[in-house]
Amino acid sequence: MEFFLQQTVNGLTLGSVYALIALGYSMVYGVLKFLNFAHGEVYMFGAFAGYGVLTVLGGPSALIVPVWLAITLMFVAAMAVASGIGVALERFAYRPLRKASRLAPLISAIGASFFLQAAALLLFTANSRSYDAPSLIPIESGLTLGPINVWLVRILVIVTAFVLMILLTWWVKSSRVGKAVRAVSFDTEAAAMMGVDVDRVIVATFLIGSALAGVGGVMVGLVFGRIFHLMGFIAGLKAFTAAVVGGIGSIPGAMLGGLLIGFAEAYTTSYISSTFQNLIVFGLLIVFLLVRPSGFLGRPELAKV
Amino acid sequence: MRRRSIWRLVATLLVFALVAAACGEDTGGDTTTTDGGGDPTTTASPDTTMADMTTTTGAQPVDVCEATVGFMGPITGPVAFIGEVQLNWFNYALDTWNEEMGYDFQMVEGDNQFDTAQSATLAQQFLDDSAMLAAVGPAGSDQVDAAGAVYEAGDPNFTFISPSSTRSGIAAQYTGMFRTVPTDDDQGPTTADFLIAQGAQNVFMVDDQSSYSTGLADSVEENLTAADVTVTRESVSQDVTDFSALVGTIADDTDFVYLPWQVAANGQIFANQMAEQSKEAVIFGSDGMDSEDFTEAGSFIAAFAPDIAFVEGSESLLDGYLEQYESTNTFGPPVYAAARVIFEAIDSVCQTGATPDRASVQAEVANTDQADSILGSPISFTEDGDLAEGRFFIFQIEEDGSKTLVE
Repeated sequence: MEFFLQQTVNGLTLGSVYALIALGYSMVYGVLKFLNFAHGEVYMFGAFAGYGVLTVLGGPSALIVPVWLAITLMFVAAMAVASGIGVALERFAYRPLRKASRLAPLISAIGASFFLQAAALLLFTANSRSYDAPSLIPIESGLTLGPINVWLVRILVIVTAFVLMILLTWWVKSSRVGKAVRAVSFDTEAAAMMGVDVDRVIVATFLIGSALAGVGGVMVGLVFGRIFHLMGFIAGLKAFTAAVVGGIGSIPGAMLGGLLIGFAEAYTTSYISSTFQNLIVFGLLIVFLLVRPSGFLGRPELAKV
Repeated sequence: MRRRSIWRLVATLLVFALVAAACGEDTGGDTTTTDGGGDPTTTASPDTTMADMTTTTGAQPVDVCEATVGFMGPITGPVAFIGEVQLNWFNYALDTWNEEMGYDFQMVEGDNQFDTAQSATLAQQFLDDSAMLAAVGPAGSDQVDAAGAVYEAGDPNFTFISPSSTRSGIAAQYTGMFRTVPTDDDQGPTTADFLIAQGAQNVFMVDDQSSYSTGLADSVEENLTAADVTVTRESVSQDVTDFSALVGTIADDTDFVYLPWQVAANGQIFANQMAEQSKEAVIFGSDGMDSEDFTEAGSFIAAFAPDIAFVEGSESLLDGYLEQYESTNTFGPPVYAAARVIFEAIDSVCQTGATPDRASVQAEVANTDQADSILGSPISFTEDGDLAEGRFFIFQIEEDGSKTLVE
């Protein structure tokens, strides 16, 4: 039981991060019907922005402000930088291709992904950085759940992810811009005819989705420690898988998919072997694309015949 | 409008400040060698240090001795932290050599991105450059295989010295290959013998799915199981940074966790996640983990070179290097040693009054007999091109992050 509980907490932490990144994929797909493959790199830049703030504030072992304030500022900076990059991508890499074939923005996204990786290599070099979170929040701190102790950073990550997901759901359902996002997602032309500023909605989608990826980047830095210029690639693919499994275009689907992928990884390692971790995760992607392309909560594509 | 411009200016400045801060400090790739190298303001005297290090260098510079030497390494790509340091050490070796000898040796740099196809392409480019006499690199054994096949087919007289390929038997496959590091035939048994001597009964082993890691893990596993030690073997990609599920599978009676990894920062994450889950086994890392990124107190590290900060005669070299470059790691000094072997071989040919060519340089490299080197040990090669007196060192990491040589 202790083993299962521990692995569940591990899966929940990882799944929370995947869910946050997957939300960006899903939101962009919902509105523009294309995959923003540079989203993983946006998450990576968010992680580096958080690290930048941590460094400015004296580093993990010599902070000049209280820990809670440092972490808050790291999240804010990561959201700001990630949003800025997301909006810039939309403006310069995708908007000019909006009327082109569906393949064009996809290729542009792949190019943007490599561009951002190379930019990060030039800016930050290939050396990895460490948040050294145990110096910020001791590993012994946390919550005792029966036989296991859950590190405070994990609790912070899980709670933050769930709060943000709830806020996002509320925003999409209740706010004026959120309703516009849903309208554009449902029918772009009809939304435009009804007076919705489509460009503004798309920018808002990139802004929010990228901000969540930025938060995901800081979370990974805090809970797992190491950040590096290629970290967005695999995380991006896993988040994409999560979005597909949950139902791409669906916000609750992205959350569900993220958590499922997190659990799949943890339980595969626990009960089968770590060697099969990626095999299982990407096997799920293939199975869902073949058997249920709309995922668990996605809306099946309907074609007029 | 004006207010908006001010906000834009402020935002731009903030972004620049963040980038500068994120660039400012890095933990990757550094090693403890920067800590104990003596007074960092001391200027190295290349003349003195080179004389101390070598025995075969000719005393009189020859005006007409000209050469181009290649460097091939992963300057970008997934292990760029290795390539950057290796390139820096190569440049440092070249600069100090030219300054010492009054020569003007040239270098050609090739970035193989840790990719086999790229390594083969670069090897062909090196061969096609008629001025190039020899090369340092590639770093990894897979890349050595790719480049070695091209050299062997194109010109077996072309010499290449790998400063970090440790796969056993690979040097015997290529006429022109030499290396300045010992092989996994040395590291595997050294590691296993040490673990057995420490009383290991249960060892948890995780390879990182690279040929370096799996080969080493195979060797250690074979030696441990032969001594009736129970080995649990797992495998994980180094692209991931969450090992918590894997850590959860470590049995409570495990004595040692063996990590033959090339990304030391991941080893530290693994150690943190072990602490998080109250796992008490001791970590033993391979030479790839010998970095400032891994500082788990009580852990052991194998290294193909001693900490050169403590090698008599190498401290000033290290100081000179650190005046020019930000950081170093285990992968650097063997590059310096390899470059010196090539430079001295070329010089030896020049001293005979002949014009160096690939065949004569290779003959001189094969005859290398340095009584001492930056690595603190002699450098000469076996018939296959392996380091004749290579050995691995085992360090234990102390509470303050320093390392103590234990074997």
